[in-house]
Amino acid sequence: MNWSLLFDSYGAVFGNVQVLLMTLLGATGGVLLGAIPGMTATMGVALLIPFSFGMDLIPSIGLLLGIYCGGMYGGSISAILIHAPGTPAAAATLLDGYPMCQKGQAGKALSVAMFSSFCGGMIGALVMTFLSPVIADMAMKFGPGEMFMLAVFGLSVIVAISGKSIAKGMISAFFGMLLCTVGLDPTNGVPRFITYKNTGLLEGFQFIPTLIGLFAVAEVIAGVERILNGEEKQESSNEKITNVLPDWKTIKQIWPNILSGGLIGTFIGAIPGAGGDIAVFVSYGFSKSASKHPELYGTGIPNGVAATESANNGCSGGAMIPLLSLGVPGDSVTAILLGAFIMKGIQPGPMMYITELPTVYKVFAALMLANLAMLLVGCLGVRIFAKIVSVEKKLLYPIILIISLLGAFSINKNVFDIGVCVVFGIVGWLLNKYEFPLSPILLALILGPMCEKNFVRFMNIQKGNFFAIFKSPIAMVFLTVAVVVVLFSIYNQNKINKREAAARAAK
Amino acid sequence: MKKKMQTQAFANLIGALIFSAISVWALIQTTDFQEIKHSFVQPALFPQIMAIGMLVFSLVLMIQSIIKLVKLDENDPLSQPAASLNFVKHKGVLAALIVMALCIFFVATFESLGYVLVSILVSLVVMWLIGKRNIAQMLLVSVLVPLGMWLIFYKVLTVNIPMGPLTFLRDLIDMI
Amino acid sequence: MKKLLSLLVAMTFVCALATAASAADYPAKGISVICPWGAGGGTDACLRAFSEAMSKNLGVTLTVDNRTGGGGIIGHQAIADAEADGYTMGMITFEISTYKHLGTSELTYENFEPLCRVNTDAAAITVNAEWAKANNISDLASFIDYCKAHPAEVQMGGSSNASVWHIAGGYLMNAADIDLQMITYQEGAATAVQNAASGFIQGVTVSLAEARSFIESGHLICLGVMDTQRNPLFPDVPTCQEQGYDITYFTQRGIAVPKGTDPAVKARLVEACEAAIADPAFVEFMNNNGQAISYLNSEDYTAFLAQSMTDVGDAMEVLGL
Repeated sequence: MNWSLLFDSYGAVFGNVQVLLMTLLGATGGVLLGAIPGMTATMGVALLIPFSFGMDLIPSIGLLLGIYCGGMYGGSISAILIHAPGTPAAAATLLDGYPMCQKGQAGKALSVAMFSSFCGGMIGALVMTFLSPVIADMAMKFGPGEMFMLAVFGLSVIVAISGKSIAKGMISAFFGMLLCTVGLDPTNGVPRFITYKNTGLLEGFQFIPTLIGLFAVAEVIAGVERILNGEEKQESSNEKITNVLPDWKTIKQIWPNILSGGLIGTFIGAIPGAGGDIAVFVSYGFSKSASKHPELYGTGIPNGVAATESANNGCSGGAMIPLLSLGVPGDSVTAILLGAFIMKGIQPGPMMYITELPTVYKVFAALMLANLAMLLVGCLGVRIFAKIVSVEKKLLYPIILIISLLGAFSINKNVFDIGVCVVFGIVGWLLNKYEFPLSPILLALILGPMCEKNFVRFMNIQKGNFFAIFKSPIAMVFLTVAVVVVLFSIYNQNKINKREAAARAAK
Repeated sequence: MKKKMQTQAFANLIGALIFSAISVWALIQTTDFQEIKHSFVQPALFPQIMAIGMLVFSLVLMIQSIIKLVKLDENDPLSQPAASLNFVKHKGVLAALIVMALCIFFVATFESLGYVLVSILVSLVVMWLIGKRNIAQMLLVSVLVPLGMWLIFYKVLTVNIPMGPLTFLRDLIDMI
Repeated sequence: MKKLLSLLVAMTFVCALATAASAADYPAKGISVICPWGAGGGTDACLRAFSEAMSKNLGVTLTVDNRTGGGGIIGHQAIADAEADGYTMGMITFEISTYKHLGTSELTYENFEPLCRVNTDAAAITVNAEWAKANNISDLASFIDYCKAHPAEVQMGGSSNASVWHIAGGYLMNAADIDLQMITYQEGAATAVQNAASGFIQGVTVSLAEARSFIESGHLICLGVMDTQRNPLFPDVPTCQEQGYDITYFTQRGIAVPKGTDPAVKARLVEACEAAIADPAFVEFMNNNGQAISYLNSEDYTAFLAQSMTDVGDAMEVLGL
């Protein structure tokens, strides 16, 4: 570790007005973009790449990292306020964020999300600064077998997010996995459940339109139903937001979740091909399992929001590690950042730490700065965003509907995707009505392709010998943890059900 | 008997039946998938595992629900009446169905009428449906929001959205 | 009747004038450029830089419109189906030669009027350094001998199924008469390269630019590029032709307009393409990006696409696609 170079690089970044401005601009744009369902941080970064052509490397990286970090937090705003995750990585935030909003704690949920995002981001940036070489070595050891077991480990969280009935949760999960297999088989290009003529489905159900359908459109349909049944109550914003940051009592309550979330996020983000969308669910499942009161998760507690938001911003730091040290992007945003580096004539990869060390340190500093900028923008915005809840529901629902449908379109500019979105809106509404949990479907949609691709690839490399996986220590660790998580979640769920039965009997 | 048919347990039973039907259908479909010669895993394998998994847990849910239905316990939450889909009796369900129809209308006419016009129509109808009667507010919101969204997407994000008869707005904006 | 006839004649005349005027005034408004691949990818970057350069010559704005999905089919289809008024064009990529063979779409180069080829990137045969050392592989000939001695054992990574680098494996198998096991990587070339560097697979058939960092670090060694000349980034790496194997294979990107575009409009666009290719900003951008500019004019590009169509078909047959 070259300390003087590290400090010089931090100084150069934090002392450069252009970098500061660009990062702040990026963070503002990122938060706003992230908050629109369908506009992800990935799109924001992609759209701004051309603007960064004319800039020097560090200001343009500052701009892009600002969007990245801002977008990660921005996604949680719409997840909390309107039940529509703005980015896939915010999908787990709505599990507790939306109930908090319904309880009239929208402001608190937003400030917890913002504070946790910031802390998670800082954890990621610190780990990246000090442990990059170690983590990069670990990332190199991930092959198809390890990735497959990582996906299995991620799927083990399903039990924890299933809700009351594990059987229903498992049905949802397998349904989601089955949905992933629609389209061309990823390994051989064989059409499954479709013919070559269904051009819109060749790549399967597009993830973001499906996500928007299942959550946002389904919620609008349910909301209209509630209004006409006279069940909808208007949340008045009599919640006083005296402090834009969470109070000390809340911070004391959520810090363990933030710490574990940040570390889980960084770790999962560091694995090439696994991003924030997986990390948030693992972190949520972990926090719920480790909690003394797992039954409170899903009813709107700040711990749930903290666990997910710290994980998805921790991911941004983690994802930078394989990007810089291996040249392998950890998620879709870093894939675009890779292009940005190459455009500036810098080739990320094993040689970067040797030939471009000052640049590497400057990127660390820029990530730190981006998190600070996100905190600043978030603080300024909390009061304004929280006002959205007090918009009259009769105006808000139609607006959410038309914005969500546009979001589904804008991902691929394909009208077929709006159709997918609407169909899943209807499916989501039905499943919700009959209490089939939606989160396992979502998790299955995220992990299903990763699970299948790596399984098939592993089998092809091992020439059909599945048992070779027992030779990989990393895979075995994941398998063991997965088994423990499943058993523990079943135990927890039984405990919750017993407690509830006892509570009913007492009545 | 009729009472039993309105419980959540009965609804679960129906749900389990539907999902097992889907998995059986999927299993039948997978037999038609093309086979690959050099591959160690056939494309049909993964969907088959998933369909079987779904079938197994549907059967579990089915058995659970049948046990619940046989000895119905008043205190059990599953003996509470399930949500209804009867749109004649419940106007909420009817409204939900209308919203779905509007969504389908949105998809069908998105390219010909353009985003802004379709959105104005759909949001006006939804607002009217859920009891908003202040025409001025309705018009203001339903016109300004789609227009604003289009403007943001077009100018800031450089994303082209179909505008149908309103395409001239694009040229208008370009001139400014 | 006479009046009507003269009216008709007059109208035809006016219409003819109007079209003539439109061709002369072209371009009178902004042009939309369709990119069949996602924002931020290699094609998108190349096209955005090229549009920027073209707009300098045409004097109007060119807006890049990413129409993605269906493995590029949706975007390519959108270019082919667009109104042939010169206000919509797009970038066609290597994949246009594969759709018909795969059966996913009837689209071929014949659905377009190609304007020019902009860029090509050659595939390279790159293998894990440790594995190569252990098996005494130092050049293409020793690699091919090893493959012949161990049929269907060597595992090479391309990127996704039926993608350009996957088919590169088929080219190699065809040309050297060897049997490789191709492993597909839907996540893209970067993951394949990482897996090869870690030794999960023995090698990759992706472009040099994509394997560059691990070659520099010594994890991978490149045995040959499938190009006619050496890559300026790696002047030490010989081409396959130099080593006695006539394998040239690369991905390509070019600009095309829908079939039936007015020749005058097309000529104006070709002129703009020629200017853009020479634009210093564009050249600098492509050099930084590691993408090679390889211009072909409209006729040569069309002939190239026709040839590519048959070659790709042969390679895909070897792979069983």
